[in-house]
Amino acid sequence: MDRLRRIFKLLRQRPMSMLGTAIIATFVAIAALAPVLAPPEAGTRDNYQIPQSGYSSDPVRPSREHWFGTTEQQYDLYYGMVWGARTAFKVALRVVGVSVFVGVLLGGIAGFYGGWVDEILMRMTDVVLAFPDLVLAVVIVAIYGPSLEHVMWAVMFVSWPSYARLMRGDVLSIKEREFVVAARALGASDARILFRHIIPNALYPVLIVASLSTGSVVITAAALSFLGLGAPVGYADWGQLISLSRNWIMGSSGNPFEYWHTVFIPGATIFLFVLGWNLLGDAVRDILDPLQD
Amino acid sequence: MLRYILKRLAFLPVVMFGVTLLLFICLQTLSPAMRASLYVKDPRQLAQLDAVIEKYGLNKPVYVQYGIWLRQVAHGDLGYSETAKMPVAEAIRSFLPATIELTVLAFFPILFVGVTFGVLSAVYRDRLIDHVTRFVAITGYSLPSFVLGLILLMIFYGRLHWLPPGRYTLDSDMLIHGDRFRHWSGLLTLDCALNRQWSAALDVAKHMVLPACTLLYISVALLLRITRSAMLEELGRDYVRTARAKGLPESVVVRKHALANVLIPIVTLSSLLFVGLLGGVVITETVFDFPGIGRWGVQAAQQLDVPGVLGSTMLAAFLFVLANLLSDVLYALVDPRIRVGA
Amino acid sequence: MLKYCLCAILTAWAFSASVSAAPKHPDTFTYLTISDSDSLDPAWSYDVSSHAIILNVYEPLFTYDHGSTEKILPLLAEKVPTRENGLISADGRTYTIALRAGVKFHDGSPMTPEDARYSIIRFMLADRAGGPSSLLLEPLVGYSATRDDKGTINPKVWEDANRAVSVQGTNLILRLPRPYAPLLSILAMWAPVVSKTWAAKNGDWDGTEATWTRLNNFRKESSPFFERANGTGPFKLERWDRKTKEFILTRNDNYWRSPARLKNIVVKGVNEFGTRKLMLEAGDADAIYADRPLLTQVKNLPGVKIIDDLPTLEMNPMVFFTYHINTVGNAFVGSGALDGNGIPPDFFSDKDVRKAFAYSFDYRGYINDVMRGKGTQARGAIPKALLGYAPNQPVYSLDSKKAAEHLKTAWGGKVWEKGFSFTLAFNAGNLQRQTVSQILKRNVEALNPKFKIDVRGVEWPTFLDAQKDSKLPIFIMGWNADFPDPHNFAFPILHSLGQFPKYQKFSNPEMDRLVEQANQTTDIAQRKRLYEQLQALEYEEVPCLVLIDMVVYRTQRDWVKGWYWDPIFPDGPYSSYYYPLTKE
Repeated sequence: MDRLRRIFKLLRQRPMSMLGTAIIATFVAIAALAPVLAPPEAGTRDNYQIPQSGYSSDPVRPSREHWFGTTEQQYDLYYGMVWGARTAFKVALRVVGVSVFVGVLLGGIAGFYGGWVDEILMRMTDVVLAFPDLVLAVVIVAIYGPSLEHVMWAVMFVSWPSYARLMRGDVLSIKEREFVVAARALGASDARILFRHIIPNALYPVLIVASLSTGSVVITAAALSFLGLGAPVGYADWGQLISLSRNWIMGSSGNPFEYWHTVFIPGATIFLFVLGWNLLGDAVRDILDPLQD
Repeated sequence: MLRYILKRLAFLPVVMFGVTLLLFICLQTLSPAMRASLYVKDPRQLAQLDAVIEKYGLNKPVYVQYGIWLRQVAHGDLGYSETAKMPVAEAIRSFLPATIELTVLAFFPILFVGVTFGVLSAVYRDRLIDHVTRFVAITGYSLPSFVLGLILLMIFYGRLHWLPPGRYTLDSDMLIHGDRFRHWSGLLTLDCALNRQWSAALDVAKHMVLPACTLLYISVALLLRITRSAMLEELGRDYVRTARAKGLPESVVVRKHALANVLIPIVTLSSLLFVGLLGGVVITETVFDFPGIGRWGVQAAQQLDVPGVLGSTMLAAFLFVLANLLSDVLYALVDPRIRVGA
Repeated sequence: MLKYCLCAILTAWAFSASVSAAPKHPDTFTYLTISDSDSLDPAWSYDVSSHAIILNVYEPLFTYDHGSTEKILPLLAEKVPTRENGLISADGRTYTIALRAGVKFHDGSPMTPEDARYSIIRFMLADRAGGPSSLLLEPLVGYSATRDDKGTINPKVWEDANRAVSVQGTNLILRLPRPYAPLLSILAMWAPVVSKTWAAKNGDWDGTEATWTRLNNFRKESSPFFERANGTGPFKLERWDRKTKEFILTRNDNYWRSPARLKNIVVKGVNEFGTRKLMLEAGDADAIYADRPLLTQVKNLPGVKIIDDLPTLEMNPMVFFTYHINTVGNAFVGSGALDGNGIPPDFFSDKDVRKAFAYSFDYRGYINDVMRGKGTQARGAIPKALLGYAPNQPVYSLDSKKAAEHLKTAWGGKVWEKGFSFTLAFNAGNLQRQTVSQILKRNVEALNPKFKIDVRGVEWPTFLDAQKDSKLPIFIMGWNADFPDPHNFAFPILHSLGQFPKYQKFSNPEMDRLVEQANQTTDIAQRKRLYEQLQALEYEEVPCLVLIDMVVYRTQRDWVKGWYWDPIFPDGPYSSYYYPLTKE
């Protein structure tokens, strides 16, 4: 606990980490206030469905009516950006949460029991880690059909093994420490030792690493959406909105940047979101490095 | 050492088997009609959907299909990739060189930029160069490659018309496929140069500038960070302090002492970095319409082209496992303190 | 030395483009497309992009007069058989086709009547699953497949095929089990003449009975026809580079007519629209694929010409109602009952429901918004460009009052009282179909707050899967002509055994009878009348909504001369028959 308090104190002293925190806080606010910032049309059944003004294919530049302009098919970019913040948090939290849970559980078991259990679980992680993660995620989503849900499952599937490995390493070292040996000598059950003594102590580095990887999780999910494997057209999802810009990066004759907003606005939004997490993450890492020595 | 390598090599087929099994099980959960979508693309063919399922054996049980596939592979036949319109082995032969060429083109600049600026950043800690380097690193790390790719295309292609996507222009295409062009390596820049077709070589290289820059910007961050922290650690060690105390100039301290030790983790990391790049080209190749392994793999997955997916992912997995092994061995070789597999 | 010359020429080309609007590469025509080809085997390929290459390399027996869909001209045949010239027998079942003399294949060997016979028989017997063989099996042997449902070969096929197609002297004789009006139309598009000797020499079927079963349902990559070609056409296939997705064709200097003016044809797949556009702008491409939504980006480009308002032989999109939905494990129908939370399996078998949907589509808005005002509302399954088009046929229009009336009577008033909910699926990625779904949803839901339609894009595999078991309450699809004859629309769209009704579980015996009768009638006026009757029934029955007679446009450099619109050519206005083209 003391360590945590020290970390927070150090974090507060770093301008970069403060910037990161500010960015994330802004996005949290946007996500929370989405119904106020971009009120859905009356009678909308799904708030994540971006309202469409007409069916014309040409994107429209930012105007008073559409602050960020529209994409092809006339989806309102401002609405998409605001509600997309919710989607981004949903994806990030679900993916990181579930894959950490699975990783911690399996890694903990593997490290604790060792032997053939360890062998099997580690070979499983070997197989998953042998794929470039994006390729495997593409395969999974393509098979089970493109949807945001499947994108989340795919990213979870490719990310749990690294947490499991990390966890296993930590468990292996903690297992030999005095207090565990003592607990065992006192006749504590396996489950009790694992859940009371080992996992809580090994969990902490895993959690740090996991929170640092939030940014890359969002990037991977957006990449899948960009490939047309994510949310359906018109769903408030940043990656999907960028993919709508692909036919329009050339502009019209005489005005090559006519449709700049279709790439730039969703691109900048994803960038800022990920940047926020990474700034925070880098600061934490910097602080931790000397601490771990 | 040798035993360790052999053990790891023996382990390779196990991983490959697991990889294919995993893919196969995933793919076979699809209904036969869904997998027939690879062959039935037009409503005109709807009436013959059942015949297509029958023809490609799509309604056979999973283990039978896996058995058939394994037997094929044992006979050296990796199957036919519908998305590439050629046998898988041929597809690998034709797409891999392009990907390798692109990766190599990005790899050395990454190594150079990453190490140079990582070291500078550590030596001049908290000065301007450190801040700039760290800023570049963190932005690169936060920018999705497709966003960067699209923006680069917008500027250098849409506006300036300098750097087009694709592999080469039509003129070079004609030249490269002409009778007098000898294909030495499959790496087109090299081949063009060897054939002394300088303008074609330039053209091919020009097509790789934007994808390579995208890869560079996105991937250099990791190396920068590792070099910087390794260097910082090294500079804080006793022997460096001793060297400084002896009155050696700072440049000698950095170059002769600290750098030599920092290079060890970097060398071992580089093979992993190379494979990481091979994985990273998936999006980059798609954005820039570059005919390599990554683009093929994505297309195969999207169209449920089973042999294509198996072929491209197995190749990726194979390279990955091999690179891991290489990195371990390198590590053991350069750092005698470590004894792997002991 | 040569390469320096080449470099000099390349530089000269680049230079000339900047000073004048002369063609950048005067001998080479470059077309950039998005589609991918399957195989160059005429008996295997059933996709438009392969077919567009095949028809420049090989030649069928007949062809169409410039852009006509009715006037047939001889190509490799000497004359077009008609009843008047006696080459079609009085009973309409025997065709005598004299073959042109002096035609040579690309390898220099002469084309013989035996080659023509071999080509037609090979086309039929190949019968790969999902292939085009049924187009000729149907008229020539009287049934549409060489295998039964279990994949066992029908032993009669060999004999039947050989009885139907034979050679007498220099004539090819076709004997039909019954009259079949569109036969010559089919022969003007399909089964082009290939060389039997070349095939046998390269390991393909040798034409004997002993080996024909090996040909049946073959794998495309096992055939020499897959990526090589030896035809009689104005262009030779130089190379198909599957890595960069391009075809290179070169001029056939020994062509039986005067050789083509263009020397090289390059057809290249470029997925990114931006790249296609830029290459067109730079003059490196002479024509590119660009569909309606992209028009604004190719309009007003210097040196680029848009040729618009070209009628098509395409009915796209159409909205099909499934009369008997398979509700087992079906997520598209909600509760599967008429309780306000779903629809019963036979929901759309009630004519009032179908009519209400017909009155709920904004035909004019669709044409104005999505098609940018181009095209006209379709008047039945048969498109404007074909015989049998019914110009006076009534059409549905957006009318919420009538729609509401029909829904109030439907299912004895229960629909209106309880409401319904179902999922309307379109195959994802198709913007037109998506918009059609959204328009229907918006207008139907506005009728009554108890009506719910979820619009969902599903990927093609899922779509196929649901479609196979008739699980989709409504599906949206389009149809491209195989050959320019009304039968090719009437049968798949309205006959109970057609591609669509089969999955709709829709059948109307009177309509079946009309389709069959019209197909066997060779008298044009009589055929016209029958098709008009058929479409009048279609209007009353509404098994599907036909929306628009589309017009398409072509984007090409203004230095391309000699191009004419040929609605029958595969791949519409985008690719071409390159023989008449020049660049100047």
